[in-house]
Amino acid sequence: MKLNNNPKEALLADLGKCRACRFCVDVCPTYQASQGVEALSSFGRLQIIRHLLTGQLELDDSLSYALYSCLLCRRCENMCKSKGQAIEICEVIQRGRAYLAPAYAKEVAQNA
Amino acid sequence: MALSGKRIKKDLARFLGEKNVFDDKPTTLVYAKDVMPYELEERNIPYAVARPADALQVSQVLKYANQHQIPVHTHGSGTSLVGLARPKARGIVLDTAAMQSLEVYPERGYFEVGAGKHLAKLRAALAPYKALLPIFPGSEPVATIGGGISVNTSAHAVDSALGKPGDYVLGLEVVLPTGEILETGTESLRRPAGVELTRLLVGGEGLLGVITKVRMRLVPAPDTANIVAYYDKSEEILATVMDMYARGLVPPMFFEYLDEAACKIGYEAVGLAPPTGAVAMMTIHSDTPEGCQAKAERFLAFLQERNPLSAEIMKDDQKWAKVWSSRAEAGNYVYRRGTTFGSEITPRVDKLLDAFADTREFILNLDNKASAQFISFGHIGAPTIHGYAFWPTKDIPSETKKALTLELRNKSEAINAKYGGCGGEWGLTAQRADFLKLRYGPDYYQALVNLKKAFDPHNILNRGNLEGWL
Repeated sequence: MKLNNNPKEALLADLGKCRACRFCVDVCPTYQASQGVEALSSFGRLQIIRHLLTGQLELDDSLSYALYSCLLCRRCENMCKSKGQAIEICEVIQRGRAYLAPAYAKEVAQNA
Repeated sequence: MALSGKRIKKDLARFLGEKNVFDDKPTTLVYAKDVMPYELEERNIPYAVARPADALQVSQVLKYANQHQIPVHTHGSGTSLVGLARPKARGIVLDTAAMQSLEVYPERGYFEVGAGKHLAKLRAALAPYKALLPIFPGSEPVATIGGGISVNTSAHAVDSALGKPGDYVLGLEVVLPTGEILETGTESLRRPAGVELTRLLVGGEGLLGVITKVRMRLVPAPDTANIVAYYDKSEEILATVMDMYARGLVPPMFFEYLDEAACKIGYEAVGLAPPTGAVAMMTIHSDTPEGCQAKAERFLAFLQERNPLSAEIMKDDQKWAKVWSSRAEAGNYVYRRGTTFGSEITPRVDKLLDAFADTREFILNLDNKASAQFISFGHIGAPTIHGYAFWPTKDIPSETKKALTLELRNKSEAINAKYGGCGGEWGLTAQRADFLKLRYGPDYYQALVNLKKAFDPHNILNRGNLEGWL
């Protein structure tokens, strides 16, 4: 667990480690399956979660785009550990799910 | 630009199909983001991302963009370290990822490859043909051949040993900004001797056209031998490089160094005991193992004349792999520990020591943030010095990051201009318009602007890069 008790701040701190080197892009199976759409790569997910947290993006369909298309296979983490910033990318994505999903559920319920 | 993003998507989908155009904000934000450490502005975020499959579709996109005067920013993998990849004017991002073709013709002595092929995949595909791909960026896992040729960077290699990638390009398929599809160059291994567009488009940084396919020589991969040498101080390595060129020795294909701080970090990262000083690594190449050994022994004798702490030809491949990977890891681990801002210093080779001293001096005395640590490494045989400012924190405001990026850029440009260099790895436009004027004068810069206008009358392609917009 992270020492920072504020989950949003802790997430933003971890997302801030990403240098945008994009080394994790090509190893992502959903990037491959989409024939090279960067929004469907680990790099893309980290960017989208960050923009959701900062309010640059709204919830709606970005949530499924960014969070639930990830297979949690951790190939990106191996790449990030060996050639990047050693971010536990899949864990960050899971924490993004945990933090953002209740707000999304509430929004859906209000609009129902 | 009177059209809405939705209209642009609808129009582009007629050429490319629905699945190859995106106008949703998550996707457009992802393609806008690059390595530059400061936040995106609205103008950086494209209306749409288009993924054409071939030159014909690129042509359709560019004709449409010209008709409506919409900026188009070409995207390989977005790995430029100097801002080439960030769109500067809101428009269409043209992603080359769908152009993945590869045909290898050993009997003709060349291969043809789509612009979107990642270098690591291309290198792997060429391995059965024992061919050398003469481009060696740190971003190899994801950087594209189209991007490498557009910048004409050999990256970490020593140009005076291997040349630039453009020296191996036989021809291009390229789409002009106004939509015309051209084939340049030759299918012969005898390259054209006179006026020829390939030379303008290679290294054109996407200002003059979109490269969609590259025809490149199959270069026989050489045998190699590796040398590692340890020194008290980085300056001794720089002096060795100066002496190597002064004596007219054949330079190694790679000649890297890590300074006293960088080699400690790099060696620890790969599990080696950190040296007490600085380290140099060299890769000697020849067409036979015996030739390599003889060349390596001659080069080692040269190194030993200059009294390093130690120097040896590496016999243990696994140990060499660790030593070699410490270069890349030094950069990664420094960044893991905080924040870095880099420079690319490429002086006249007899001025290496002066340029190194000036670089250290300015990095230790930056105006926009005090107390930087100086760390340097680089492709010193090329010669390239990467001088880095480092702070052990991630907590630097975006505006300060932007100011530091600009300050490092301006001060490294001043050193390059002072010592007759111009860079050679990272590209010459995007943030660098002022350097072009400083180094070559206003007439030179105006000639580039005129050239751009001749190819791209509406300034559609990569708008803002030649202008030097951040």
